[in-house]
Amino acid sequence: MKQEQVTKRRDFLKLAGLGSLSGAAVVAAGAVPAEAKSEPPQGEGYRETAHVKKVYELARF
Amino acid sequence: MGRAQGAVTLAAEASIDEIQPEECLRAHQYQLLARFLAAPPDAALLRLASGLEGDRTEFGEALGALARVAARLTPEAASREYHALFIGVVRGELLPYGSYYRTGFLYEQPLAELRKDMARLGIARADDVKEPEDHIAALCDMMAGLITGAFGAPVGLAGQRIFFETHLAPWAGRFFADLEGARAATLYTPIGTMGRVFMAIEQTAFGMER
Repeated sequence: MKQEQVTKRRDFLKLAGLGSLSGAAVVAAGAVPAEAKSEPPQGEGYRETAHVKKVYELARF
Repeated sequence: MGRAQGAVTLAAEASIDEIQPEECLRAHQYQLLARFLAAPPDAALLRLASGLEGDRTEFGEALGALARVAARLTPEAASREYHALFIGVVRGELLPYGSYYRTGFLYEQPLAELRKDMARLGIARADDVKEPEDHIAALCDMMAGLITGAFGAPVGLAGQRIFFETHLAPWAGRFFADLEGARAATLYTPIGTMGRVFMAIEQTAFGMER
């Protein structure tokens, strides 16, 4: 990616309003970091987030 | 965790140092949306939201509106609103699933495609879960994870763009617009605006990659 293209995207994201989020308090989704880290990274392994699980628990019909 | 972004916590494996600050902001926004859409807002989330300050952009105005509503709503009222919008007795006012928006039915081809991509990216759902994965909250969570590397190495912009254009772009803007105008929405009106505008920002920003 050319330097000027990177700068444009970076500037655009900030100017579009996302800059408002810097300095915001904790935003992390319901996923529990400890759970996400408990699974050691493996090449072929699956990853789950507690958040994804929670979505389905609560979306239960 | 003290960083330029303030008291930020990301449920991620990748160090923030490896990800550009602007990309972190995108991940934060996906995580914020995911939190509001995955479950009824609790007191902590309402407190977080009420502390947001927006600038004069359309996105920033939505953040400001969200902060104002979140400051005056109780968790009980927010929970009732969430239930009316998304759960109901048989169904809520809205069905926030990609397959539904794209085909009119749940469990359709968009879900099948998503499952293939999730397998490829190493994202899995819990074994005991039977609901479709193409829920807007799950997709937002997945985008955040692709940006930050929660599912392994961070996926670069090219990969994020493909995921976004395949699984979110065809319908998420319409969903957020529906949320904005939903009869049961008060807190979720500015969330709808925020989501709609963010989807447009993402679409444009990905277009600047080239």
